[in-house]
Amino acid sequence: MISFIIRRLALSVVLLFIISIISFFIVTLTPGSPYPWGELNPKISAEVKANFRKKFHLDCPLHEQYSLIMRDLFTGNLRSIKDDRPVMSRILERLPATVALNLTSIVISLSFGTLLGVTAARYSRRWQDALGSFIAFLFIALPGFWITYMVVIALVKGFGVPILGTHSYGIEFPNSLASGLDTLWHLLLPATILALGGIASQSRYLRATMIESLREDYIRTARSKGLSEEVILYKHALRNSIRPIIAGIGMLLPALIGGAVVIETIFAYPGMGRLGYEAVLERDYPTLVALNFVVAALVLLGNLISDLLSAAVDPRVRLK
Amino acid sequence: MRSIRLFLYGIPIALILLLVAAFVNASFLSVAKKNEMSIGTIGEPSTLNPIQQADSASAQVAGLMFNGLLKYNQDLEVVGDLATAWDLSQETTFQFGSEEEAAKALLFLNEHQSSNSASITTIAGNGKNLALTLSQPGLTDSENIAHILSEAGLHPLPFPPLDKGSKDRQFKAEPIIRFTLRKDVRWHDGALFTSADVAFTFHAIMDERVASPRSSDFELVSSLVAPDPYSVVVRYKKPFSPALLSWMQSILPAHILEKVEPAKWSEIYNRHPIGTGPFKFGNWKTNEFIRLIKNPDYFRGSPWLDSVVFRVLPDPLTLQLAFQTKQVDFWAVDPWAVKSFEKDKRFDLFSSAGNMYNYIGWNLRRPMFQDLRVRKALAEAINIPQMIKYIIYGHGVQSNGIFTPKMWFYDPKVKPLPYDPKAAAALLDQVGWKPGSDGIRMKDGKRLSFTLLANNGNEVRRDIATLVQDDLKKIGVEVKVEIYEWSVLLKRFVNKGEFDAIVLGWGLGNDFDQYAIWHSSQTHPEELNFVGYNNPEVDHLLTDLRQEYSCPEIIRLAAKLQQTIYEDQPYTFLFVPEGTSVMWKNSYRIRRPGSKLGEWIDSPVTMTKAGWDYDMEWFYRPEYIPKIPATQIIK
Repeated sequence: MISFIIRRLALSVVLLFIISIISFFIVTLTPGSPYPWGELNPKISAEVKANFRKKFHLDCPLHEQYSLIMRDLFTGNLRSIKDDRPVMSRILERLPATVALNLTSIVISLSFGTLLGVTAARYSRRWQDALGSFIAFLFIALPGFWITYMVVIALVKGFGVPILGTHSYGIEFPNSLASGLDTLWHLLLPATILALGGIASQSRYLRATMIESLREDYIRTARSKGLSEEVILYKHALRNSIRPIIAGIGMLLPALIGGAVVIETIFAYPGMGRLGYEAVLERDYPTLVALNFVVAALVLLGNLISDLLSAAVDPRVRLK
Repeated sequence: MRSIRLFLYGIPIALILLLVAAFVNASFLSVAKKNEMSIGTIGEPSTLNPIQQADSASAQVAGLMFNGLLKYNQDLEVVGDLATAWDLSQETTFQFGSEEEAAKALLFLNEHQSSNSASITTIAGNGKNLALTLSQPGLTDSENIAHILSEAGLHPLPFPPLDKGSKDRQFKAEPIIRFTLRKDVRWHDGALFTSADVAFTFHAIMDERVASPRSSDFELVSSLVAPDPYSVVVRYKKPFSPALLSWMQSILPAHILEKVEPAKWSEIYNRHPIGTGPFKFGNWKTNEFIRLIKNPDYFRGSPWLDSVVFRVLPDPLTLQLAFQTKQVDFWAVDPWAVKSFEKDKRFDLFSSAGNMYNYIGWNLRRPMFQDLRVRKALAEAINIPQMIKYIIYGHGVQSNGIFTPKMWFYDPKVKPLPYDPKAAAALLDQVGWKPGSDGIRMKDGKRLSFTLLANNGNEVRRDIATLVQDDLKKIGVEVKVEIYEWSVLLKRFVNKGEFDAIVLGWGLGNDFDQYAIWHSSQTHPEELNFVGYNNPEVDHLLTDLRQEYSCPEIIRLAAKLQQTIYEDQPYTFLFVPEGTSVMWKNSYRIRRPGSKLGEWIDSPVTMTKAGWDYDMEWFYRPEYIPKIPATQIIK
């Protein structure tokens, strides 16, 4: 077990190195270059531009830029081209809001997805199943931004409810309950919309594995023993169908950090997705490289956790 | 068993209940507004350090926290801000071969002082040199004096030229600006503002480690001295009239930044700066908001608002929704929506012509655009009134050149070319571009076909490109439109000067100096004369304008410049869009200090030359009426 973990970690370091090289070249070889002065500005002289390029090593050959960026990344000196602040603190300051949004959304999609999936499997090929399938395919098929805009417009035009950011602005809250609920509203709304796709795929996935489980011999045995339908459903079928989900929890780690660009932009939510998206538009190489690096590291770590969890819940899985 | 069911149903039900409770709470929130102004911005400011910022979002926020030595008043005239007075003069030095000749010249000038029109205030001999102080900077007076001296047989020796390639100078002309500073200004931390801060700001801008985008404004400063805590004397290497405006630059606190290396500024200052302005820094949550708090010790008096919050709302549609839910107080209305807001009695609208014009730049390095007649034909074939009607819904005027109507040196007499596709076709025929078999004009086996570039994400420019394509097809010109992301457009095409034609816009200040855009020396890669325009007459006008200090003369030269460039048609000048902002009716009024001490002028928010938001620091919400004895208020 220990040696397995050590071997995997060593392998991850090598992988991370390769990923960092690939991600650096993808980022820097994208057409365009950083131009932090917005529209063309007659006041920006060629000298200022040269100065700027020198400051961020943009005048060095690419391989030197790579080693400088990596050196700065590991010494904590890597600075964003946009605001000249350490990249790591830019990433960390978005962590609370991002984790809050994604965690809520994961909880919503897992809980609703499981309920819908189990119900659909239980009433397979009856109207409950058809309705569940319809909703699931609707959520999968409709583009997220379209649903978001429709919800947003309906809420604003119909009810005049503030929806943007992490709380309402310019309002005197009568008590802390009201302000707490207000913050919750600004979290639950985007998290719910973000979760719609997850609910759909989660329920479809669980329905399929559940239906398969329900056809197994041990279910027939349980039925013939005269166990109640609920016990069969929840204790036997659900338990055996949920293993892939538990194994998948490790993979949720990068999803917790990785952002949701569209939802964050529409809701003006201060998450990681906007950080990455704006960094791409601004060609903020240091931020992009650091962000890719962090997410890659989390994917590798998530993989490892998944494997360990699978081994823990399923005795058939052995770590070698 | 039961626990599984509880889990399975309990969590979704709890989540739904929470969502409903939160929604009910949000829809019944009290409308009791805080005494706070809320402004939405699309872009996130990059830094609040005014010498390092170049983006408009940063400048908007910093504008409420800082002051410059000078500022514009609401009629766009230059007035003092941190400076109470400023005085322009010039020291002109003549050099002679011998001390005797210098002494003769001194005597000669003293005798003839009354007879020549030059504005000499003092004359001082110093060995072989003769130093004159003139009350008006510029070259004209000095040239006249040099002329008078040579006529009298006294020949000043030449000075080496300042720039490569220019002529020797007969004299050295060094303009001087002397600022007298206010004595009642304190930084937000209580320290006194003095001339040391001005000196520090200047040196910081010139410091390579700061990489200030403003450094080109101050390149020509030869020295800046602070003879006492409340005066500053700036000396320039040569006459450069736009220099005065550069002192609108916000001043930084020396006592905080002086001892810190510029590389550390981003941590200790740039995100929580200290200024002299009406609002102090409150807090900044990245990608969410920046809150500024009123500065009760502001030297013009405490603002009425408790705070101002700038919210970062990256999506234009939701910015509008935020305005409708009163989450932001103002909104820059899209042109298509202006009409419906105008009809709605619940809103106040403020419209004004902007300082920006859209154009199509023709790459003059391409043989097909080198002929003026071709450029003229293309301009006449493009239906600009139609563009104004359909792209910006009539909210704009046709451009007639490099300046926009709001500028004080703008020449309204320059006639824009009419839309005349027949004349355009005739002109092209005349040049030899004859329609070919496929309807596209040909000359010497080449088709009249080119690529027009625009940038992604700017709908106005994309629409312009489409209409141009359509208009030019009608006279047998083939246009291929290509849209690129902004940074790609710059790097691959604009910076290298490798394109046929491009749709762009210039957003300008109230500065007449357009040397960087039009001078023939500015055509290298990354420089801004990327169309490769070269007209010696324009070169002269641009240099003369930079050295001219008298307003009537500036107006004359600027008009000549505008006419000459418009006649050359290096761009097809399209239109100047109008900007419209909207606020909920009577949500704000203005109460600003009058000319006399203790006197206040109360008015609704109105449009001024400098914009509706000119006096933003004096905005107040009518439900929080400022407490001042009514006798002092002029309505």
